[in-house]
Amino acid sequence: MREAAVVSQPNPLQRIPGVAIVLVLLIALFSTIAPGFLSVANLSNVLVQSTILTMLALPMTLIIMTEGLDLSMGAVLTLTSLCVAIVSLATHSMLLGLGAGLLVGAAFGFANGWLVAIVGIPPFVATLGTLGMAQGLSLIVSDGQSVVGIPHSVRDIYSATLLGVPVPIVMALVTYAAFHGLLYHTRFGTYIFALGGNREALRYAGLSPNRLLIAVYAIGGAMAGIAGLLMTARMNSGHPTAGLGLEFDAIAAVAVGGTSFERGNGWLLGTLLGVLSVGVLRNGLNLISLPSSVQVASVGVLVIVALFLDGLRSRA
Amino acid sequence: MTDISKDAIAPPRSFLSQDAIQVFYRLLAALLICAVLAVLSDSFLSLGNILNVLRQASLTFFIASGLTLVVLTAGLDLSVGANVALSACIAGTVIHKTGSPALGILTGLACGGIVGLLNGVMVTALRIPSFIATYGMLWVLNGLTYWYMAGETLHGFPAGFRQIGSGYLFGLPIPVYLLLVFLGIGTLFAQRTIWGQEIYAIGANPVAARLSGIPVARRLLLVYAVSGTMAGLASIIFLSRLNSAEADIGESLTLPAIAAVLIGGTSLFGGVGTVFGTFIGALILTLVLNGMNLLSVSANWQPLVTGIIVILAVWLDMKTRRRAQ
Amino acid sequence: MSTAALAVEPAAPTPLLELRGISKEFPGVKALDDVSFAVFPGEVHMLLGENGAGKSSLMKVLCGAYRADAGEFYYGGKTVAINSAADAQKLGIAVIFQEFSLVPHLDIAQNIFLGREPKGRIPGTIDRRKILADAARVLGTIGFDIDPSTIVDKLGVAQQQMVEIAKAISQNARILVMDEPTAALSDRETELLFALIARLKADGVSIVYISHRMAEVFALGDRITVLRDGRRIDGVRPADVTPDQLVRMMVGRNVDMTYPRNFADKPGEVLLEVKGLSATTGISDISIEVRRGEIVGLCGLVGSGRSEVARAIFGADPVSSGEIIFDGKPMSGEPDLAARRGIALIPESRKSEGLALLRSVGDNLVVSALRKLFPSGLFDQRRAQRTSDGLIRQLRIATPGARQTVGLLSGGNQQKVVIGKWLAAGSKLFIFDEPTRGIDIGAKSEIFALIDRLVAEGAAALMISSEQVEICHVCDRAYVMREGRIAGHLARNELTEENIVRLGMHHA
Repeated sequence: MREAAVVSQPNPLQRIPGVAIVLVLLIALFSTIAPGFLSVANLSNVLVQSTILTMLALPMTLIIMTEGLDLSMGAVLTLTSLCVAIVSLATHSMLLGLGAGLLVGAAFGFANGWLVAIVGIPPFVATLGTLGMAQGLSLIVSDGQSVVGIPHSVRDIYSATLLGVPVPIVMALVTYAAFHGLLYHTRFGTYIFALGGNREALRYAGLSPNRLLIAVYAIGGAMAGIAGLLMTARMNSGHPTAGLGLEFDAIAAVAVGGTSFERGNGWLLGTLLGVLSVGVLRNGLNLISLPSSVQVASVGVLVIVALFLDGLRSRA
Repeated sequence: MTDISKDAIAPPRSFLSQDAIQVFYRLLAALLICAVLAVLSDSFLSLGNILNVLRQASLTFFIASGLTLVVLTAGLDLSVGANVALSACIAGTVIHKTGSPALGILTGLACGGIVGLLNGVMVTALRIPSFIATYGMLWVLNGLTYWYMAGETLHGFPAGFRQIGSGYLFGLPIPVYLLLVFLGIGTLFAQRTIWGQEIYAIGANPVAARLSGIPVARRLLLVYAVSGTMAGLASIIFLSRLNSAEADIGESLTLPAIAAVLIGGTSLFGGVGTVFGTFIGALILTLVLNGMNLLSVSANWQPLVTGIIVILAVWLDMKTRRRAQ
Repeated sequence: MSTAALAVEPAAPTPLLELRGISKEFPGVKALDDVSFAVFPGEVHMLLGENGAGKSSLMKVLCGAYRADAGEFYYGGKTVAINSAADAQKLGIAVIFQEFSLVPHLDIAQNIFLGREPKGRIPGTIDRRKILADAARVLGTIGFDIDPSTIVDKLGVAQQQMVEIAKAISQNARILVMDEPTAALSDRETELLFALIARLKADGVSIVYISHRMAEVFALGDRITVLRDGRRIDGVRPADVTPDQLVRMMVGRNVDMTYPRNFADKPGEVLLEVKGLSATTGISDISIEVRRGEIVGLCGLVGSGRSEVARAIFGADPVSSGEIIFDGKPMSGEPDLAARRGIALIPESRKSEGLALLRSVGDNLVVSALRKLFPSGLFDQRRAQRTSDGLIRQLRIATPGARQTVGLLSGGNQQKVVIGKWLAAGSKLFIFDEPTRGIDIGAKSEIFALIDRLVAEGAAALMISSEQVEICHVCDRAYVMREGRIAGHLARNELTEENIVRLGMHHA
């Protein structure tokens, strides 16, 4: 009963081309048309600027693997960024600020998960509703104003280096390592594949899909909390519209990175490359003096193309 | 084994009267809110405020009426707000450049319609789920609008044109007449044309609809184009009412429109709902926001309340559906 | 005969698992009515019955998915309770579902041990080396030689079934329940499965095997239990019965049900002509012809491409080459075009493809005829109501009225609604895909009478059916398909079950 001949070995390299080619093409494009793109300073800038997106795109990958979506991430990031600013301003403690951001972010993530898993509302509408709520709370807690004068301990997070490497990059790398370990080497990660691939299988195995689903969304919210700290540090203030729309870049990175919106087929390294693609695209367009509006539009086109290709691939 | 005859169990039920009951409940809710507001605030029952509520509701309704058709097919159009902004800016430019409001109105409607059509193409030909496709479109349109306007504001339009949004006829704001006209057209289209019937059938079961000989792709294109065109219409009213156009006017429009559709009883899962229900939904939402305004609650609370209302409306819909099954 | 067969149980006096007096009721339906059932160690126990006889309900009670309303369970002679999937698992009962319980993007080892992963040193992690070694060992015991780190999505259906069985074995399953396991397998794969079953039996594993295929029943079964209408009809040994006797037990009456059919002396003009049709769905070089006044059968094994031919003709799947000529003119395009030209498709899965279950009977009846009934484009509720009332009377659809939700009707009446919507549309060619699936015998006969009347009035019918008896009694002639191609044509006088099977079988 030798069957192995029929089976092709799983080869992650087969999937690299899509996103890697996009990234290489973008780099090639901007190194020719954008002066200064290839400088060390600029490339390091791209990396540092991509860190906040990394923090959102990694949990977004997990959420999309469960055939879900989190449209509230940008608004929640805005809210947590404000919480970090307000609490650190009041207590002069970076850690308390981070704690507040984490708490609020995780609470929103938990609410998203509860609405999706227990109440059963389709993810895109549930998180659209919480998007409105987070956006509203941001306006309410800040009264529509920027929160300024935050302590140095917060600001330094963004500018400090560790062994010559900027701290945000260290944080992003640690986050990536943590997510990689979580998804590929833990039971929880295994069950995330099952949440999107075959939820019944989890029930047969005596596990509760609902609790797992809530956990996945809660992780997304908590990560928005950590990203909120970076955002506040980067802007040296809390601003009530700072992170709006960032979830779109995160979805773009996941989609370009080859994670499928169906059947629990996710790929974290692809998401990382997707984040870099979005980062390079925005940075390059910026260097050739195209306004951020054009950057937004081109990311939109990138997503639609990626989804179209994803659709073609899943049909093939 | 569920095939064993169960015909005797359920009494005959009419979907029309079911719809009527749902609308009736919502009318009651609207009246209740009115009563509460009348007690809480002296200025609520003033003529000026009531006309203001109606005009405000009509703006939400224009966007939400087209959106209702999309939701009836079990789809969603998240790009309507951004579409309004782009259409308004382009229509405004045309009026400024040519001096002809008629040409501007046509351009606005066309711009909205084309965007809707593109949404339809993404959903049908490229088979991208509607909420993702239109969400992508939202950001593309946003980017285009900001780039096109480059921080400028267009203002100062011919007086005749401004009448559309801010004028009165026999004591009622002109948008209210437009609201009645489009409420009529929308209801007739959904209930009294075969396209309307086909749209309901598509929402109830797209596969069965296709295998029943309904041209599903063409109807979906139509529905998204109508939704876009209605956004174009809303952009004209906005332009004429505000007498100015900026890139950011669409940002707070999408969520209320979705809220109006869902409060109005149109199911997110397709096949159930009415345009009239959406009108009531727009009215309820406007009353709530107006009431907050009258009670001097900061406008900063509006997104929060709208978000909560969206979630409550879907939850209610799911509960009634579960009972129906 | 039944009591005798049960009494003469020589080898194992106590059954491994015994169910006594199991009843299960759903609103309006008695799914299981006082059913008793015993499995002995190392036997293959066949569970037979028509659709809706209660096989799957019994299976679900067995694995803890349903809780029985009444009845007792005995395991090895001791009374036990099966109230949940966990209870069943503890007793060593495992089900191999038709829709697999596998996660596509996990590997074989992760799937086998889903929820029972060996713990790694860091809390929450998985001991990768151990899980692979354990999986390899389990795969070895069922003789399936494959790398356990292969992603399941890359496996074929038969291989996935092997993984599914390995998963059950790894849970120390003593009783394996298989629900039509060969439905999606090729002949060669079926042989492999049978070899595996023999091996499991030798290891003392008991197998409860649900099947519709007579040949399997006699090839594999040690004992047969027949269910009908939720009741246990009989328990027999294969050696003591003939296939005809079994069928009679399943159906509850003699097999020769009445097939109302008035064969025309000579068929009318050609209505549909298909020449060399191929499609990406796996059919190639299909050439068939259907005349007015004829019912033409399209038979062959499940998966031989019958439904794909129907869908291609109707425009539901894209055609890659070939020609379809309908009513003298070539045709190509989407279903709306085919429907407008007068072709009707009555799909196999009525509930998911034929009806909008939550809409009313009336809405479903007029949905295909909107253009014909309202040429102006304006919909008139009263006119629609009159049309659907007329159809309800004409087809004798048992419903309190046109406003009844169609999902609440019985299978037979739902099927009448699907047919009715095409009558309203004035279709000329009716393509039936398994028109009697899940329908009780009385309604079947009515459906056939209806088809007969349709063709007598000048329409034509192309009928797909897995019930060869139906094809033989109802059709003027038939095409037999094999592996996506037409394997042969049988005229009226050649139309026997034997010929259909002979042409449809794989010649390995």
